[in-house]
Amino acid sequence: MENNINYNIVILGGGQTAAHAATTIRQEDESSSLAIITNENYLPYERPPLSKSFLLNKVKESDFLFYNEDHYKKLNIDILKNEEVINIDFEKKLLESKNKKITYTKLLIATGCKNRTLDLENVNSDDVYYLRDINESIQIKNKLDLAKNILIIGGGFIGLEIASSANQLGKNVDVIELADSLMGRIVPKEIATIVKNKHQKNGVNVHLNTKIISTTKIDDGYEINLSDNSLVKCDMIIVGIGAMPNIDIFKDSPLKIDNGILTDQNNKTSIENVFAAGDVANFFHPIYEENIRLESWKHAQNHGVAAGKNITGIKTEYRDIPWMWSDQYDLNLQLTGRCDQYDSFIKRGKDENEGIIYFFIKNNKIVGACGLGIGGKIGKDIRLAGMLSEKKVEIEEDFLSDPSSKLNKLLKK
Amino acid sequence: MNSENKQWIEVGTTDQIDMEDLIRFDHEGKTYAIYHIEDGFYATDGICTHEAVHLEEGIVMDDEIECPMHQGIFNIKTGKAMGPPVCIDLKTYQVKVEENKIFIEI
Repeated sequence: MENNINYNIVILGGGQTAAHAATTIRQEDESSSLAIITNENYLPYERPPLSKSFLLNKVKESDFLFYNEDHYKKLNIDILKNEEVINIDFEKKLLESKNKKITYTKLLIATGCKNRTLDLENVNSDDVYYLRDINESIQIKNKLDLAKNILIIGGGFIGLEIASSANQLGKNVDVIELADSLMGRIVPKEIATIVKNKHQKNGVNVHLNTKIISTTKIDDGYEINLSDNSLVKCDMIIVGIGAMPNIDIFKDSPLKIDNGILTDQNNKTSIENVFAAGDVANFFHPIYEENIRLESWKHAQNHGVAAGKNITGIKTEYRDIPWMWSDQYDLNLQLTGRCDQYDSFIKRGKDENEGIIYFFIKNNKIVGACGLGIGGKIGKDIRLAGMLSEKKVEIEEDFLSDPSSKLNKLLKK
Repeated sequence: MNSENKQWIEVGTTDQIDMEDLIRFDHEGKTYAIYHIEDGFYATDGICTHEAVHLEEGIVMDDEIECPMHQGIFNIKTGKAMGPPVCIDLKTYQVKVEENKIFIEI
């Protein structure tokens, strides 16, 4: 391949959003030259297995690619792997990596997120593991083979999914979390407590309201002094404390950024012919009438599909109701809509066996919901809650709180 | 397996499945899903091909079934996996309705 290349459409980033955007572009436009530029050595792949089935050795890398090599060849989509774009000139419509100069007519930025990192005193940064991509998952997998005592910093979804996997591999696991509840403020305390109890029943030590006081290097690892007066000896440290949008190369450019790349409901950024989608986009949501940024599997997929249409000139408004899931042990937790702005909540079901759901209510309508169940227990009702919130259906507390009532009846009103 | 080994097995009556709904039917160690949609009654395997989840807890919309765990969608009539996270199709089975009784050929 040459080092100076031009494409009609370039997608910067090679994750889920890129894979679906590229495929969608080709459904509408068979002639424009199209490329995905990724700094990874892999075709776009699914991330959910990285904290679960891949860590548990149940699947291999080729099992969780979105599409194989043939798919992109057949659709004439070039994939430029191992290309770290270090400079962008929006006026020249030019992207520069170490060895290549790539010019474009239209650009989709789908650079996703990067992990928040932690500096730990007396701890060699090589001994601290993070999780976002396949390489990091492989490193964690390899170290997990040797380690016995795992310290996980961060009681969010990633930390807890890794804790669940490490526990299932027979490791001693300690999870520390600064807040008084796992999984942030949007998961209701009652549900977070059921999850905490599940971890503890399986032997994971969960330390809430806890921070690290000091760390000391010892023979096989580290001794960590915690603020809850416990001393944890560990030979592996994994950090899951959230992520930030990948926007460093745009910092000195005219592209409008604020907690990600600002876009409208049609993936358009502040620069003409430049679009953004997925984790990196702080997009205007027409239902909530404000900008939000979402880091979830479904959003990465659907925002990518919408961007694919928008970039080919098919005006598509993205107004999906947010939805995400987390699997820990046999528990499936799901969130939909907005769970951060409500007047009151209505509870349905009493525990994870039956399925327990919190509906968040504002102006007598569902704005969001959070549910927990064994297997697929709560999926249908969470889905219906999302649809009811989109249609702004007025609800009755008694009906919602009765586990035997059928929520789809409310849609037919 | 040749069709001589297949039989018509009764799974229930038409009033047992609401429109745009489904029921679970277990037979000889296997689980099936029987659907009632605008076009009639259909049957597929009852477990999602992505992960071991019962489709009975999923949601039927038009002629598609959505798995409750990760929202993977299958076409009810053809069993086709409509996109990620599901990529392996569901097996489908012939259905017949006699009087108000539903039979599937397995």
